[in-house]
Amino acid sequence: MSIEISNISKTFDSFKALSNIDLKINTGELVALLGPSGSGKTTLLRIIAGLETSDAGNIIFDGEDNTEKSTQDRKVGFVFQHYALFKHMTVFENIAFGLKVRPSKLRPGKEYIEKKVHELLALVKMEELAKRYPSQLSGGQRQRIALARALAVEPKVLLLDEPFGALDAKVRKDLRRWLRKLHDEYPITSVFVTHDQEEALDVADRIVILNQGRIEQIGTPEEVYDNPANPFVYNFLGNVNLFHGRVHNGKIELGGLKLDVPENTEAGDRDVISYIRPHDIEISLEPAENGFIAAAIIFIRAVGPIVNLEMKRIDTGDYIEVEISKEIYKKLQLKEKQTVYVKPKDFKVFIPEDYII
Amino acid sequence: MNLSIKPIKLKQQSVIPGFGLTMGITILYITLLILIPVAMVFVNSSTLGLKSFWEIAASPRVLASLRVSFGTAFLAASINAVFGLLMAWVLERYSFPGKKLIDGLIDLPFALPTAVAGISLTTLYAPNGWLGRLFEPLGIKISYTPLGITVALIFISFPFVIRTVQPVLHSFDTEVEEAAACLGASRFQTFRKIIIPELLPALITGFALSFARALGEYGSVVFISGNMPMKTEITPLLIRTKLEQYDYSGGTAVAAIMLIISFAMLLVINLFQWWAGNRHKMR
Amino acid sequence: MAGSIPLKTKYSNEINARKKPSGDSKLVRIVLIAIAVLFFVIMLLVPLISVFVKAFEQGTKVYLAAISDPIALSAIKLTLLTIAIVVPVNTIFGIIAAWAVSKFKFKGKNILITIIDLPFAISPVVAGLIFVLLFSTSHGLLAPVLNELGLKIIFAPPGIILATLFVTLPFVARELIPLMESQGTAEEEAALTLGASGFKTFWLITLPNIKWALLYGIMLTAARAAGEFGAVSVVSGHIRGLTNTVPLHVEILYNEYKFSAAFAVASLLTVIAIINLIIKNISDWKISQQFK
Repeated sequence: MSIEISNISKTFDSFKALSNIDLKINTGELVALLGPSGSGKTTLLRIIAGLETSDAGNIIFDGEDNTEKSTQDRKVGFVFQHYALFKHMTVFENIAFGLKVRPSKLRPGKEYIEKKVHELLALVKMEELAKRYPSQLSGGQRQRIALARALAVEPKVLLLDEPFGALDAKVRKDLRRWLRKLHDEYPITSVFVTHDQEEALDVADRIVILNQGRIEQIGTPEEVYDNPANPFVYNFLGNVNLFHGRVHNGKIELGGLKLDVPENTEAGDRDVISYIRPHDIEISLEPAENGFIAAAIIFIRAVGPIVNLEMKRIDTGDYIEVEISKEIYKKLQLKEKQTVYVKPKDFKVFIPEDYII
Repeated sequence: MNLSIKPIKLKQQSVIPGFGLTMGITILYITLLILIPVAMVFVNSSTLGLKSFWEIAASPRVLASLRVSFGTAFLAASINAVFGLLMAWVLERYSFPGKKLIDGLIDLPFALPTAVAGISLTTLYAPNGWLGRLFEPLGIKISYTPLGITVALIFISFPFVIRTVQPVLHSFDTEVEEAAACLGASRFQTFRKIIIPELLPALITGFALSFARALGEYGSVVFISGNMPMKTEITPLLIRTKLEQYDYSGGTAVAAIMLIISFAMLLVINLFQWWAGNRHKMR
Repeated sequence: MAGSIPLKTKYSNEINARKKPSGDSKLVRIVLIAIAVLFFVIMLLVPLISVFVKAFEQGTKVYLAAISDPIALSAIKLTLLTIAIVVPVNTIFGIIAAWAVSKFKFKGKNILITIIDLPFAISPVVAGLIFVLLFSTSHGLLAPVLNELGLKIIFAPPGIILATLFVTLPFVARELIPLMESQGTAEEEAALTLGASGFKTFWLITLPNIKWALLYGIMLTAARAAGEFGAVSVVSGHIRGLTNTVPLHVEILYNEYKFSAAFAVASLLTVIAIINLIIKNISDWKISQQFK
């Protein structure tokens, strides 16, 4: 089922949680709503589920307007951040709940419910735990039961609120791989909320980046990572180095560095911000060309295949983070306190005025 | 009923069903059973006129009863504050045989009918009673004196301070105490400078609840006080006496005074809790 | 009165209930425990025990005679009738009010809670008086209507029931509100997304979560309904065999110097109080288990 979110706005007291959100989610897609806390991502998810009503706009499921429909009638599966398992029911009863509360005409028979619950328990690999109570389960197990419970009613849409937020790092990684696999096998249209960019990049087909109640960018993980639409997205997805500079006649000056930026030719002569990812920086021992900036190495972390370097620019005193491969690190024989020369391989320039809202 | 309309309009949107129905029933019920009957006291008092109201309020017998009521309630609440704090501390911090039993029986005064408490305490503290006998040689009379009233009031308001202080002490982070000890504070300094300020809001709330409860108490006091006008007559008893003499306007006027005091106490307690809550939030 | 204690912290800190080390010296500890135990014994335990000792002072025969006396039996009957009406009415009200207060956010919530608490703050005598002012056939506001219809409320069982409804109104609501607020609405929301109706959500999700607190609230209501003295004393008129409840019967026996009989009847009320405490302790324990 496709979901169309059209012109949704929501205000709490005086706080504007969402303003004019437009978004289309295709059938069978797995979409991440990514943003910092307070960006409105959970509110948007709850509005899709009907747990919150919007002040304006429409929620359309498969071309049918659902804006006025109650939560019960929307047939969505919702997985809550803290699971919201029914404490006084066993795992089995929790999963069976959605089927058992159907009006008597639509309620399936006892055998069917039993079969269905066991299918779901098998799916989440927890057959042995059917008789346990939620308090006897680990966080990861609770999460899987919450998912099985949501799937029991055969929803057309699956909504997950920070599904891995309360789990520790290892379980988190396992579960999100498992969720991806599950989605590939049973492609239900799914939307999940997260504040963890790595999680979004790892799992989602498409990522919607939200900030202060607005959509900053929509795209596949590659698109948003490689071509961030604005400084916020750049900053939010992974580590970046920030350089203040000036564009002038299609060239950018960053310290003593002059580089061609043909796309900014029309910008005239003005101050700009440039973002460079740590792995897009090249290191040289000699100041061979004028395109290199002198920097002192402050700290080296050489654990694993990637070596992280922390540097300080000699001219401005700004800090730079650099990632290089172990091979290059060994070849250059870098030491702390050594002065080297760095040059960006790839960078993106933003003219600040464009992004002042 | 202005109040009854407002909340519905100013309610935040929610998917949980049943707000209109439950709120409607709640407001209807409290209006019929609480608001209208309580308002009757003020309606009836206002027909008296200010002058005769004042004459009743300022009459020596009423003033004397207020003095007895306030004096004994304040004394009882103070004693409960001290012993309640001590009991809460002992129950929360130490372990000793019989602790569970004591903790389980603390709420007895809330469950025991006041008349039962009244006859039991009166018999115990009478000059020939189990406990009164001990005080008789010292020339101290308890039953049928203000002291007896105080004893009854201590009993009926016994659990308040303990039950308000206990949870605070329970959630109190002992690391803070340990930190104080590491910084060289003596045990007494830690208690006075770290623990008491933390417990103070709960202690004051417990004291105020004790005091409010003691002020209105009737059932237990009526047996132990001896009910001598001007000496051991508490205000609720005076209202009762006036009603029995068919002095309805007099009784109602005194009841209005008591109600105003109750409202003021309630307001102070709520404001204080709000203030204490906010103070905590800021940290 | 139990309900009027603010319970904000009661349910929130069960997790960090680790054993607290105490830095107090042994002497301080022993002295403080001794004072606490002594105060407890004198103020609570001795009065409690004395009720039963006095009740059986003149033997089991006098005890049984006192509680099987026809006037005592009619007092017990009236008290049971009062309980049978007051407990269901105030239980249903308590659940409804707790739902409205704890599951929604609205302006004026604190005022509403304060009004629900009002019967706690009002002297029982005043609680009786307000119903006299409304329903007395000689002085009441509604006297003309009542006389016209030939209804008697004050100095009759309906007055006793009304006054008892008033004084026991807050108990169930005040037990449930803090618990339901601390439980939040997540489980109800989950039930709604799974397609449960409003009533099914309440019946299958909310009610099982509050059953122990509800039971304790009901017990408190019943105990107070059985034991209320001040308010009932004002509206009853003390007509023997007709408008006497158990506590009023205790008073009459006591004032007639039938002490053993008075304590015998009082012991019945005391047993109810003790059952009450047992249920409270079970209920507290069950709730703390739930929050683990």
